[in-house]
Amino acid sequence: MSGTSAPSRKGLSKIACNRLQKELAEWQVNPPSGFNHKVTDNLQRWVIEVNGVPGTLYSNETFQLQVDFPEHYPMEAPQVIFHAPAPLHPHIYSNGHICLDILYDSWSPAMTVSSICISILSMLSSSTVKQRPTDNDRYVKNCRKSPKETRWWFHDDKV
Amino acid sequence: MESEIGESTSRPSCSVNGGNEAGDFECNICFELAQDPIVTLCGHLYCWPCLYRWLRLHSHSHECPVCKALVQEDRLVPLYGRGKTPTDPRSKPIPGFEIPNRPTGQRPETAPPPNPNDFSNFGLGATGGFVPMASARFGNFAMSAGFGGLFPSLFNIQVHGFPDATVYGSTSGFPYGYSGAFHGGHAHGFPQTGTQVQQADNYLKMLLLLIGVSVLIALIWS
Repeated sequence: MSGTSAPSRKGLSKIACNRLQKELAEWQVNPPSGFNHKVTDNLQRWVIEVNGVPGTLYSNETFQLQVDFPEHYPMEAPQVIFHAPAPLHPHIYSNGHICLDILYDSWSPAMTVSSICISILSMLSSSTVKQRPTDNDRYVKNCRKSPKETRWWFHDDKV
Repeated sequence: MESEIGESTSRPSCSVNGGNEAGDFECNICFELAQDPIVTLCGHLYCWPCLYRWLRLHSHSHECPVCKALVQEDRLVPLYGRGKTPTDPRSKPIPGFEIPNRPTGQRPETAPPPNPNDFSNFGLGATGGFVPMASARFGNFAMSAGFGGLFPSLFNIQVHGFPDATVYGSTSGFPYGYSGAFHGGHAHGFPQTGTQVQQADNYLKMLLLLIGVSVLIALIWS
């Protein structure tokens, strides 16, 4: 499992810290439905429980998302991966890496953990088939620890 | 920070619950009350240091972080409020990376000063043209509909150069007996002053009187 990761080595900047505290407070007041964040002392790593939406392929399944924030969050995207076992999905690799453009090239500092979660749940919910990406084995064998170091190619906007 | 964050001491944290009182003025990047606030043409508010750093250091394209509209730096609009805090914690967190001053606002020319001659022109040419302007000025009284009938007639008088009561009587703009009588008293005063002072001053005085009368009517009616 690609648990420990590069971005958590450097502490959060003051701006990042302030923003995360705001996001955390907002989450506590108004969490996105289907998600459960067990608040810890560690502001830099959030582990979030994801509940599959009833009526979709993932209903009654629960997954763990790990979100690691870089020093210059929100200028830089957080690193988001699934803990094992990652959901079976055409865009989610068995090592938990997620092929989703907003986590990499299309990141914007106006996005939040909450909005990321909703995007991921939407990606899960719109899936029509439970399978790994076609290049799963090759990717998992060769990839770096952090998906942020992968050169992603975003090609499928249906799921 | 636990549950209800009502009116806590630090202002930015107030906006945490959905209400968003200060939220309208929070930067879309740092989520704090915007410092050196700047607005994109698409209407999204940022701290200038936040937006600058995003556009210059981190983003691959010059897009608005909220809506992805193209952002041109020379077309940003700064917001100038009243206060200005000289210390900006966000402006110098990265050594060696200077954030320049905000782009300045684009300032259209000032409106031309009101020309007293314009009044007579107005009166001569189109009395009707004056009415909207008058009603705009005296709009506070919320009686502009009622005045609409009065103003043209009053300005007719002005055009004719402070007429006496006969001319006054011949103007047709006084449909209401009550207000006509009211104005009549004042109108008779005009010729006296008109003989002593210059014409330009008269116009001004008349205007003032008109305002006074309007206020009186407004007070009476309300």
